[in-house]
Amino acid sequence: MSPESSGQAAGRATAGALLYRAYVVGICVFVIAPIAVAIVLSFSSVSQLRFPPPGLSLQWYAKALATREFVSGFTLSVAVAASVSAVSMVAGTLAALAINHHRFPGRAVVQVFVAMPLVLPAVVIGLGLLQTLAWYGMRTGFAAVVLGHAVIGIPYVTYLVLAALANYDLSLEHASLSLGAGRLRTFVQVTLPLLRPGIVAGGAFAFLLSFDNVALSLFLTRGDTLPLRLMQHIQYYADPSVAAVSTILVVISLVVMLVVGRTLRQREDIRLVT
Amino acid sequence: MTGVASVAAPPLGAAAPGAAWLARARRRAAPWLLLLPAATVLIPFFLLPLVALLRNSFNRDDPTALMVTDFTWVNYAQVVTDPLYLGSFVNSLAMAAAVTAVTLVFGYPFAYYLVRWAGRGSLALRWVIYTPLIVSVIARVFGWMVIIADSGLVNTALLTAGIIDEPLRLLFSAGGVFLGLAHRYFPLMVLPIASSIAKIDPALLRVSAGLGSRTVRTFFHVVLPLSLPGVVAGAQLVFAAVLSDFVMPLLMGSTRFRMLAPAIFDEAIGNVSWASAAAMAMVMLAVVAGMLLVTNRMFRLAAPWARTL
Repeated sequence: MSPESSGQAAGRATAGALLYRAYVVGICVFVIAPIAVAIVLSFSSVSQLRFPPPGLSLQWYAKALATREFVSGFTLSVAVAASVSAVSMVAGTLAALAINHHRFPGRAVVQVFVAMPLVLPAVVIGLGLLQTLAWYGMRTGFAAVVLGHAVIGIPYVTYLVLAALANYDLSLEHASLSLGAGRLRTFVQVTLPLLRPGIVAGGAFAFLLSFDNVALSLFLTRGDTLPLRLMQHIQYYADPSVAAVSTILVVISLVVMLVVGRTLRQREDIRLVT
Repeated sequence: MTGVASVAAPPLGAAAPGAAWLARARRRAAPWLLLLPAATVLIPFFLLPLVALLRNSFNRDDPTALMVTDFTWVNYAQVVTDPLYLGSFVNSLAMAAAVTAVTLVFGYPFAYYLVRWAGRGSLALRWVIYTPLIVSVIARVFGWMVIIADSGLVNTALLTAGIIDEPLRLLFSAGGVFLGLAHRYFPLMVLPIASSIAKIDPALLRVSAGLGSRTVRTFFHVVLPLSLPGVVAGAQLVFAAVLSDFVMPLLMGSTRFRMLAPAIFDEAIGNVSWASAAAMAMVMLAVVAGMLLVTNRMFRLAAPWARTL
């Protein structure tokens, strides 16, 4: 904190600095509160949404696990998200390599086109897909929702891999080739390991955004992914079983984030080696 | 496979003109081959659907045959004249503007603290700001329901304290939607601002201080102008995200405050009026595209130093 350390030291004692700190804490409470409340309530002993809960129990986890719609929705969502993640990692990584390694006519247009799904309203993309599925002889369901989510997953992977490519040394590939490794071997043993942090982060993002997607799934499924099932449930009976499912989801998201964090830390090791 | 391979020296036996031609063709084809998988998804499932929407928005809805091919502006006329459609547009635009303004005003000081003041606490603050991004949106809605329901935390506290006599209507109102959206998209505002503040060269701040500027003056003359790219990016992201949000209006809003995304969905799925839904989507697309273009242009005029961005 070198640039402002003097200002910080001088300001630490003032009321202004204290107010500023209180403000930041207030924002943190605002951000965390609804999530914390949902987690606490998932252990409630009653069905009313009373906070703090009068007693603790695991009954809402039992109920959530016994609710067929949740279990089948969860299985479907995991399968969809895993497929989206796989498709996006392959297509996004190759697209990033094309943009980074090559200069070709239309490159700028390709770059803008790949970013477009991220800034356009998802509802518009979903409606467009609904009206074109018949062209491809498709109906709402697994394939439709995987391809629909991949439209947003691919740009994420492309951009995270491009970021990983920003400090990427092309001469490593040249060295590998000139030392007699074939193109495939160079790709698998040199290019891929160096890009792994970007690819893994992109794949994880694609997984999470597919797993939590509502705007596209509404148009592309029969209302059977987990977020849609939870939405239907919460509209009619908002009992803590929704919170129990949510808590399980929070744990899953955290595990995914930790795995990503670990892979990103391994990137430092790679840098040290090179 | 990779482009590097094709950039590398041609094989020794490549003296024949045919081989040279082949090598050049392969080099030209390489990027397009790499783009093929992405194009296979994005062209049929992103580009063509948008084209189809544009075309369908000029068709006529028919009670018996889904859509009748036509070229009419009647759907667009309906969007701008029918109070129901127009209302959902106005509501969504007002909501997007309000959420963008409030997340900016509250998010900027937070981002500044995160980068310049937090020191060792910055990792913890970063986790706080990432949390909403990784926690299911339904979980957050559930939490808000408990907090702002008629018999929720806020109302109970206010009633017990004697500040109000009857519970405030927060959940299932425009206010509830606003709270949910501001919470959902707060990180989308903070993260770009924080990254643009982090990019400012510390030497500039030292120079400003060394020339006798007080911290406040340095902030308004150095930090704020240089962080404008992040402000613009954050505002664009939040504005577009609010316009197309479906979950908050549906779960925390009321039918008296209609918003655009659910209205489009109802029109397409509930009323099976594809042409009119397509026209609504096109108007929404135009609003988002126009917003992006205008803010980029304004930004370039107001902040010429950031032209490279």
